[in-house]
Amino acid sequence: MTALRIDQVSRTFPARAGNVPTRALEPTTLDVGDNDFVTILGPSGCGKSTLLRIIAGLDRPTSGRVTLDGREVTGPGADRGMVFQSYTLFPWLTVRENIAFGLRERGVAQAERHDIADAFIRRVGLSGFENHWPKQLSGGMQQRTAIARALANDPKILLLDEPFGALDNQTRALMQEMLLGIWERDQKTVLFVTHDIEEAIFLGSRVIVMSARPGRIKAEIAVDLPHPRSYKIKTTPEFVALKERLVEEIRTEALKVAEQA
Amino acid sequence: MRPLEPTTSKQRVAYGLAFFVLFVALWSWATFGGHVSKTFLANPLTMVQEGYELLAKQGFLFDIGMTIWRVIGGFVLAAVIAVPLGVLMGAYKPIEAFLEPFVSFARYLPASAFIPLLILWAGIGELQKLLVIFIGAVFQIILMVAVTVGATRRDLVEAAYTLGARDRGIIRRVLLPSAAPEIAEILRLVLGWAWTYVIVAELIGSSSGIGHMITDSQALLNTGQIIFGIIVIGLIGLISDFLFKAFNAWLFPWKLA
Repeated sequence: MTALRIDQVSRTFPARAGNVPTRALEPTTLDVGDNDFVTILGPSGCGKSTLLRIIAGLDRPTSGRVTLDGREVTGPGADRGMVFQSYTLFPWLTVRENIAFGLRERGVAQAERHDIADAFIRRVGLSGFENHWPKQLSGGMQQRTAIARALANDPKILLLDEPFGALDNQTRALMQEMLLGIWERDQKTVLFVTHDIEEAIFLGSRVIVMSARPGRIKAEIAVDLPHPRSYKIKTTPEFVALKERLVEEIRTEALKVAEQA
Repeated sequence: MRPLEPTTSKQRVAYGLAFFVLFVALWSWATFGGHVSKTFLANPLTMVQEGYELLAKQGFLFDIGMTIWRVIGGFVLAAVIAVPLGVLMGAYKPIEAFLEPFVSFARYLPASAFIPLLILWAGIGELQKLLVIFIGAVFQIILMVAVTVGATRRDLVEAAYTLGARDRGIIRRVLLPSAAPEIAEILRLVLGWAWTYVIVAELIGSSSGIGHMITDSQALLNTGQIIFGIIVIGLIGLISDFLFKAFNAWLFPWKLA
């Protein structure tokens, strides 16, 4: 069953004084099924974030359309939760209030909001930090809160735009395991954008490789590694074989970017 | 001393006081030493004496009260109108395009130049004093609040949208709380300016207030009273600034965390 359908979606940014218009995304078609975990892998500037922003409704496609459960996406909404690369917790709200933000916008009563928020705080391992301000948290903790905030809204699909991009390697690995654990347990449709090959394989059931600007889907590789996955899988021959293949794919694209620059 | 090296809080207080001591010492040297004529500058002791005289016998406390009430009245009036307008301008670009050119123009109209006109319109009563402060403050607040609200982090607004917020929610639960500490800072700054406007308003056509006392003392060549009046204004400014700062810190604990 298809939950999300991206149908011939393209994006061209209009010309700025003296420059030609920028083609960020070639017409792209992609179907994401229920409870699928799809990772989108590509070099910087390949339009993968643009694609995600269009799905979120934060940007409009130049052509084509996005539908979620048959309904066309025309703007942002609570049915598509998003986690950004930058730290986007509301600095004036505590961890608990941040996680309950979406519930509050929907008019959920305070007691219920707290219960749901606290459940997600436990899920992402932030018990004891309910009343902390975002400023008092490390980057990893902030992103965990951001994931909990998106999940607390119970969206149909979770969109993640390089959420661990600014974290150090060790924290990043732990965050990947945490996210995968949540997905394995709760089953959720997830679209995860990254430029990290290992991350794309470890998390995804499929890896979509995108070409350098203008972005288009270059390859789609199924990741047939069993679940639940532990970090140890990263050193298995199957994993390494997939990694080798993707390194080649991405390297060609990265070289193109370097030549263009 | 090395560039940007911090000092301890004790040292800070000591250095800050040291300058006041130095200032009074220079003043005493100039006046007691006979380097400046008494007609032009009273010495510190005379100033204190005159101040006591003012407070105890000439009902100066009433003047201080009048001035404070005018400042606060005009300032609150301006803030009540300017803050919502500024928020609307910052949030909605068509409203900004509609009002910004006029407000930018009006901001440069000197409040003191309006005094003769305001006397004509509103007489020399309290309304005229309030209006001077209102005109001096309202356009400044509108513009600065609009800029602050307009500079709200886009990614926070986008995050709120993806969490299901509608336009009203964006304004009430993202733009406002995000801009609130800055707006409080703007109000603190403009309150300081309001003090200058009130004194100017009281120098012309007034029968009470610190500014009025200063004009009266000028007629009597009583420099001690003038200086005392100026120092009182400075002290009240310092106190109100301190209170405002403490209030803001209490209001926005997440800023300091």
